[in-house]
Amino acid sequence: MLLMKKQVAEVRMVHKTSGRITSIKASTSKTLPLKQVYLIAHLTGILWLRRNPVSMIFTAISPFSLLFVLFVISNGQYVHFAIAGSLVMALVGYGLALGQDISFYKTEYKIQDLFVASPVSPLTYMMGLALSELLFGLPALTVLAFLVVYSGSSILSIPLLVANILLIWGSMSAMGFFLSSHMLHMRNATQVISFVNVILAVIPPVYYSVNILPQGLRYLAYAVPTTHASLMLQYTMGAKTPADWSLFLGFVVQIAYLVGFVALAKTKAIWREV
Amino acid sequence: MLAVKASRVSKVYKGSRYAALDEVSLDIDAGMTFTLLGRNGAGKTTFVRMCATQLLPTSGRIEVLGYDVASQAGMIRNLISIVPQEGRPLRALTPWDHVYNWLKIRGESNESAKEKSAEILQKLELYDARDRPAMNLSGGMKQKILVAMAMATDAELLFLDEPTIGLDPISRRQVWSAIRDWKDRGRSILLTTHYMDEAEMLSDRVAIIDRGKIIVHGTLQDLRKVIPQNVRVDVAKNGIDPGLLSSYGSVVDTGAGSLRVFTYESAARELSELAIKRNLSFTVSPVTLDDVFVSLVGNAANEEAGSGGADGA
Repeated sequence: MLLMKKQVAEVRMVHKTSGRITSIKASTSKTLPLKQVYLIAHLTGILWLRRNPVSMIFTAISPFSLLFVLFVISNGQYVHFAIAGSLVMALVGYGLALGQDISFYKTEYKIQDLFVASPVSPLTYMMGLALSELLFGLPALTVLAFLVVYSGSSILSIPLLVANILLIWGSMSAMGFFLSSHMLHMRNATQVISFVNVILAVIPPVYYSVNILPQGLRYLAYAVPTTHASLMLQYTMGAKTPADWSLFLGFVVQIAYLVGFVALAKTKAIWREV
Repeated sequence: MLAVKASRVSKVYKGSRYAALDEVSLDIDAGMTFTLLGRNGAGKTTFVRMCATQLLPTSGRIEVLGYDVASQAGMIRNLISIVPQEGRPLRALTPWDHVYNWLKIRGESNESAKEKSAEILQKLELYDARDRPAMNLSGGMKQKILVAMAMATDAELLFLDEPTIGLDPISRRQVWSAIRDWKDRGRSILLTTHYMDEAEMLSDRVAIIDRGKIIVHGTLQDLRKVIPQNVRVDVAKNGIDPGLLSSYGSVVDTGAGSLRVFTYESAARELSELAIKRNLSFTVSPVTLDDVFVSLVGNAANEEAGSGGADGA
């Protein structure tokens, strides 16, 4: 695996004050941040799952609840919306759940204190925990992604599906990290993140057609990244998408949000307290 | 060489009117164990967190191993390790998971991480429990996992923020032994503690901090000179006139049913004879850091209470 590739260089560092040479391993190794991402995910995700595999089942079931309801109510008519909505909601949930994890590790366990006072960067820490969250959701994501491919699209659309998944997961994880870094209490984090979840995955046209919105609200919906994530999934499944929307627009908006949220997480998230 | 150089460092937390640290200046030589003693909220953790690049000072400058904490935090983070106050290990993970993976995260090779993990877990008597999830371990063992994570590293400077809280006497001694080993390798330690015996056992130099200010610092011998007498005699409170005791030295109430007289050896001998004659229980011992601490911080607290009081952080 690429992330496991060992290129740990030993750097010799000279103390400014003493001239004493200290061996500092890998602090400047180019692959170390990637290795750290994997190790943080390993520590907080893989090892947990290995000892508590049942938790993966619990995490996997929840994204299917609305899919089931919509499928039953519409007699299968809105299956495209149901699958797209469930996948988007799952990704938003896994991304934002990172914020809850971070708050937990920061306020309850003080684990973040260890990471802040170490060579691990905030972005590396965020990516490691985000990857860990994704591992918990892997079964649900695999089933939902399979349903997308099965519901009419060709194998060739898989790269589009993967890109869409990565874009929404990445931007939501960065947002979760940014929000949680400003929370002083675990309860605040849970409340804010639940609220943002509703704003991004329930209210916008994620589970329903954007066409039913009045013109003004439609433009507003196009400003929300999850609208585009859902439309891109509907497009991938071969469903009809609105005439005033294009795949290009979907990518542009999602990439803009990803870049924006990662920049926000990198520059404005609180790592060292002030 | 200095491990830490703090120059007029202050910290005022957002929303607070009071300084958690107030123009603190302190030089900590490398290769020594330096202990910060203070009451809860005195400013110990604030100082440690600023040195460990976790918190920015409001004003002043701190250099750690020659690097500025505000602008060169990245350099410092390669050279330090910390045991945070009230930290907890992850419940489902074992001591081995914590230490081994932490070393790998810090860039150690697999072989080196294995070797160092085994060494520190053995040192802290966690090796036999290395494969047990933290949730099945005692509170003391959980605390030792965090100590092991910090002490297994190659860091030059170790910050230990009340590392032995909740440990039984045997475990405390294991941690003390690991701290001494660390120092013997020429590395530096900044320790905070409430335990005076811990400070006496481990410290090369000690500073007492109260309400954000360093009120005294120096070697243990220097600090003991704060109380001019060198012996203390504790005499049961019942059956003796405090006025009589004050003729032997300065008297304080221990709050535990006895009066403590700070005095000199010859007067202590006379006082002991008096206690034997009156059939009173008594103990004679040297003046300790605890006495110095109570004398300095207790006096400050009394003065504060007299003048109306103020918040600390």
